[in-house]
Amino acid sequence: MSTERKNFIGHLAGWITWPRFIFAAILIFFLTSILFPFYWMVSSSFKTKAEIGGREPVYIPSAIRLDAYDELFNPDNPSYQKFAYNIINTLKISIPTSIIAVILAIFGSYAIARLRFKGKNALLNGILLVYLFPGVLLIIPLFAMLAQIGDRLGFDVQDNLGVLVFTYLAQTIPVALYMLTNYFRTIPDEIEQAAMIDGCSRLEVIWRVTIPLSIPALVSVSIYTFMIAWNEFLYALVFLNDHTMFTMPIKINTIFNDPTPRPHVVMAASTIMTIPIVLLFLALERYLTEGLTAGGVKG
Amino acid sequence: MSLLTKQRWNSSRAREARLAWSLISPTALIVFGLIIFPAIFSIWVSFHDVGLNNLNDVFNAPFVGFENYVKVFNDFAFKFQFGQSWGAAVTSVVYSLASTTLTIIVGLIASLLLNRPFRGRGLARAIFLFPYVAPIVSIAFVWKWILDPRPSGVLNDILLRLGLIDAPQAYLATRGLALVLVILIQAWRYFPFAMLMILARLQAIDNTLYEAAEVDGANAIQKFIHITLAELRYVLGAIFLLRLMWTFNKFDDIYLLTGGGFGTRVLPVLTYQFSFQMFDFGRGAATAMILLTILMAFMVVYIALVMRKVEE
Repeated sequence: MSTERKNFIGHLAGWITWPRFIFAAILIFFLTSILFPFYWMVSSSFKTKAEIGGREPVYIPSAIRLDAYDELFNPDNPSYQKFAYNIINTLKISIPTSIIAVILAIFGSYAIARLRFKGKNALLNGILLVYLFPGVLLIIPLFAMLAQIGDRLGFDVQDNLGVLVFTYLAQTIPVALYMLTNYFRTIPDEIEQAAMIDGCSRLEVIWRVTIPLSIPALVSVSIYTFMIAWNEFLYALVFLNDHTMFTMPIKINTIFNDPTPRPHVVMAASTIMTIPIVLLFLALERYLTEGLTAGGVKG
Repeated sequence: MSLLTKQRWNSSRAREARLAWSLISPTALIVFGLIIFPAIFSIWVSFHDVGLNNLNDVFNAPFVGFENYVKVFNDFAFKFQFGQSWGAAVTSVVYSLASTTLTIIVGLIASLLLNRPFRGRGLARAIFLFPYVAPIVSIAFVWKWILDPRPSGVLNDILLRLGLIDAPQAYLATRGLALVLVILIQAWRYFPFAMLMILARLQAIDNTLYEAAEVDGANAIQKFIHITLAELRYVLGAIFLLRLMWTFNKFDDIYLLTGGGFGTRVLPVLTYQFSFQMFDFGRGAATAMILLTILMAFMVVYIALVMRKVEE
């Protein structure tokens, strides 16, 4: 035992050089400062009210307690939060946003990447504007505009998930368009030409050639647009008033600002909101990192 | 239809353009209706008196000239008052410049770290991306909970144990410190973006450059400055511009972390407060236009400087 240990220490001492030591120290610093907040979020969600409200922080919860989750989901809990509604609302918004944005972007990107038409540059510049304009600038006129249209056509602007999906398209379509156009340009033109010589129309080419060849790009674009809608805060904050219509981010903000602070409940809700996104990302990391640098996510 | 126009109508060029427009028209409509038109409309709003009372009849809102702008300039939340408060404009500029610079520095360190092979590098790279991928709401509240002013806050506990502070501090409710922390959290959250872009460029640097420098007897620091940084010049410039733009426009992070209090009120937060807490949309739009003007002025100067350097 002791010789083995000596060997290990001796081995370690031989391996460690100054550059290696500095490298390892910086790496460990990065990993702890990144992982600790995530650990703190998940572990806090399993604490009891006593553990959370004590004089000293509890670094490791004594047991996995579901008190916080009970408050979120159990109708018999005195401070039941109806969080299931918020999860469903978020899904009701992010899934349609992602599907609509991807479908529209497939056609739009194809036209930009492959076809010649007047006004292409003007359109591309218009799309780039969204990168320049702050969300807070666009939301004032959007709010006024939609209130006016809603008044004429007889729908409510507030607490209307459809309206929210519509406004999210403004944030997701430019991203989707940009990423897909870049991808379509990498598909060799010859394959499409061959399909056209075989008698396919342009639409058939898109359906039979371009889409099947772009599956990885389509997956990453749909996940990005999904993530943008899933995380969106400002527009939802302005457009939603009713607690049962809230998306998760707004609901978490509301729980946090409750007069009786319940950090474990906030952390439980945050865990529920974060884990699927991080897992989704890890599962598809290979496809996704490229999109991150391609100007994928504005934020 | 005359033969000539018919020919033109049927020419492959024209057919292609028609197909292109039919493919892109839904997108174009959305881009115009939800981005371009609102952007122009917000200029209009900034010159009119628009509140909750006339929101349903916004096109008949009274014209007030520059009154909204004057109100913003004279607002204590906007004005720079020496020794008292920086005001939203100066805070915005300081906040964006500082957090962008810090984001790039941290991103550069992280990318150099991940550029050398070691066991578990793939996993480390995935973990490094977590802060950027996770929802801002969760991130903001975890940090708020870590920085909690009670003695049970993690940072308070650690610093008390180390004997660095005597009493628990309200970090995010202390003028100055709050701004510094918000900047640090920005760098923590957004460095992965810089890291990925730098990493892609680092991997494209020709190794023979380093070998040649070694032959010439260059040390590690010289190699870093004259090869690595020189090769990264353009990508660093691009990241700086993009991140600066996005940080300058950013609302969520500061709103969630401090609510814009304690010397962290930036222009987007002020815009939100004017528009959706005071419901003075005209004043909000005026603030947003000021924000945009500062941003554009900066970009013009930056691009002019960079272009001149490129020409040299």
